[in-house]
Amino acid sequence: MVKKLITEDTKLFMTGNEVIAYAAVAAGAEFMYGYPITPQNEVMHTWCKLLPKTEAGFLQTEDEISAGFSTLGGILAGKKAFTATAGPGNVIMQDAMSMAEMNRLPFVCAVMQRGGPSTATVIYAQQETTLTCFGGNGEGYRIVYSTAGHQDLYDYTIKAFNTAWKYKFPTFILADGYQGKMREPVMAYDPEARGIDLVPATPYLRADGVAGVDRKPVHLRNCFNLEEELMEVLDSYEEEFNRIAPEIIEYQEYKAEDAEILIIAHGIVARSAMTAIDELRAKGVKAGLFRPITLRPLAIDPLRKAVNKAKQVLFTESANGQMARLALEKMYGLTTPYQTLYKMGVGVTGGDIVEKVEKMVKENNLVC
Amino acid sequence: MARAKIVLAGEGGQGVQSIAKILVEAGYSANKNVLYIPNFGVEQRGGVSIAFCQIADECIGEPRFSKGDIVIMLSDRAIERCACYVDENTTVVYDDSVCLKKPEMKAKRIINVSASKIANDELSARVFNMIILGVVLKATKVVSIQNAKDALELALGKKFVAKPELRDLNYKALERGMGLINNTASV
Repeated sequence: MVKKLITEDTKLFMTGNEVIAYAAVAAGAEFMYGYPITPQNEVMHTWCKLLPKTEAGFLQTEDEISAGFSTLGGILAGKKAFTATAGPGNVIMQDAMSMAEMNRLPFVCAVMQRGGPSTATVIYAQQETTLTCFGGNGEGYRIVYSTAGHQDLYDYTIKAFNTAWKYKFPTFILADGYQGKMREPVMAYDPEARGIDLVPATPYLRADGVAGVDRKPVHLRNCFNLEEELMEVLDSYEEEFNRIAPEIIEYQEYKAEDAEILIIAHGIVARSAMTAIDELRAKGVKAGLFRPITLRPLAIDPLRKAVNKAKQVLFTESANGQMARLALEKMYGLTTPYQTLYKMGVGVTGGDIVEKVEKMVKENNLVC
Repeated sequence: MARAKIVLAGEGGQGVQSIAKILVEAGYSANKNVLYIPNFGVEQRGGVSIAFCQIADECIGEPRFSKGDIVIMLSDRAIERCACYVDENTTVVYDDSVCLKKPEMKAKRIINVSASKIANDELSARVFNMIILGVVLKATKVVSIQNAKDALELALGKKFVAKPELRDLNYKALERGMGLINNTASV
């Protein structure tokens, strides 16, 4: 067991990468495997700096392929293991993430999105949304929390471990370079002191006793001979994923109740939308926010309800509609018109959104 | 002042991010809401380095903003890169002992300081960024000099213990920077 660092509510002022490392300790994470890539490095650095106090483990591997598979190895041995990556690292870690889907391993990974494609920028983007939700050769049986700042990073890092170990689907904290590198205050706490039970890790392999005598043998299958054998397994995953979705979905609404213009944004862009909404409301424009917190699975019913109530929808993100595609697919049959404000790999400011919404109001003679 | 939006921009290595760190630390110790995003490329040295800082009484939403209340430009390239963060409500400060160009843009006011020259001639090149921090403190009045000194202690306390004269040097630079902005020029 790792040693606790935070035993009572403590206000910290640090970068988001540091917050993730502290939260992982609070979640009882025992081992981190990783390979350096900006803007994620300080998750590893901080985790390592804390090792003398936490007595946890760390292995720097030779690349992200290895970091991903080593994390799976740690998990198979029954350790709460995790990793963190970004950009091209997220691309080459997909093989291990797919294996986690196939074998239902509680893989946990923090993704600090940077600009793409390829090396692009080391700064910020929301361009790893599709990759994190649906990367790999499979169907995307993954749980993805999109965070919007340091308190989210702390809360959802803890939650990600619990979700992963409870439901046995790979779970992601999808953040970005801004959140990783920026500094803002955060309230750190001991989850158990707040009544949040930590789901214990149990070994997949080499558990106590004799397989077949004292316990059921473990059969983790990654390779199938027949097409139908595979489909049978995947059908059961699909059913399971849909069954647990209502327990997992999370979303946030901000002044959406009477909103005529509904802004749909996730992650840090949702915060810019909130700034914009306050400014627009002060000018008499009834704007509101729908922010999906889980991108996989998506809160479909609340999303449809909010969209149906609005006169117009605005999708905005720091990508060319990666989140919008996830949402639009689930909005089939709705007739609310929508517009987009996409800035690929660039931060969306409150000012950008205000300008766009004012244009929408003017063009459509909306009386707000 | 409900929310002060501050952009600091210069060449990598000039200490822009160090100024920002101390500034937001000062804001945090003054019990304000603060948010700081560093922004730079892959270079180890050089390249334009930008810090977006917000210090506010209320909760901070947007991490990045469109226009700054004050934009500090410490190199020619920083002037080019950061013109987009300036509008008629922005105070622009540039160092005329570093920049060969003069910022030509529509702003509330454009102030020139010679921080680099002062640092080299009167103090030490190493405290150039502390002069700039003094400029920011005086121009924004967003945190007190005592808050800044506390933050400085947190950042450099160990060095100050080893070399107490460094503390005086940094304080002098801070105060010299504050003196470069007259009272009527505050944001």
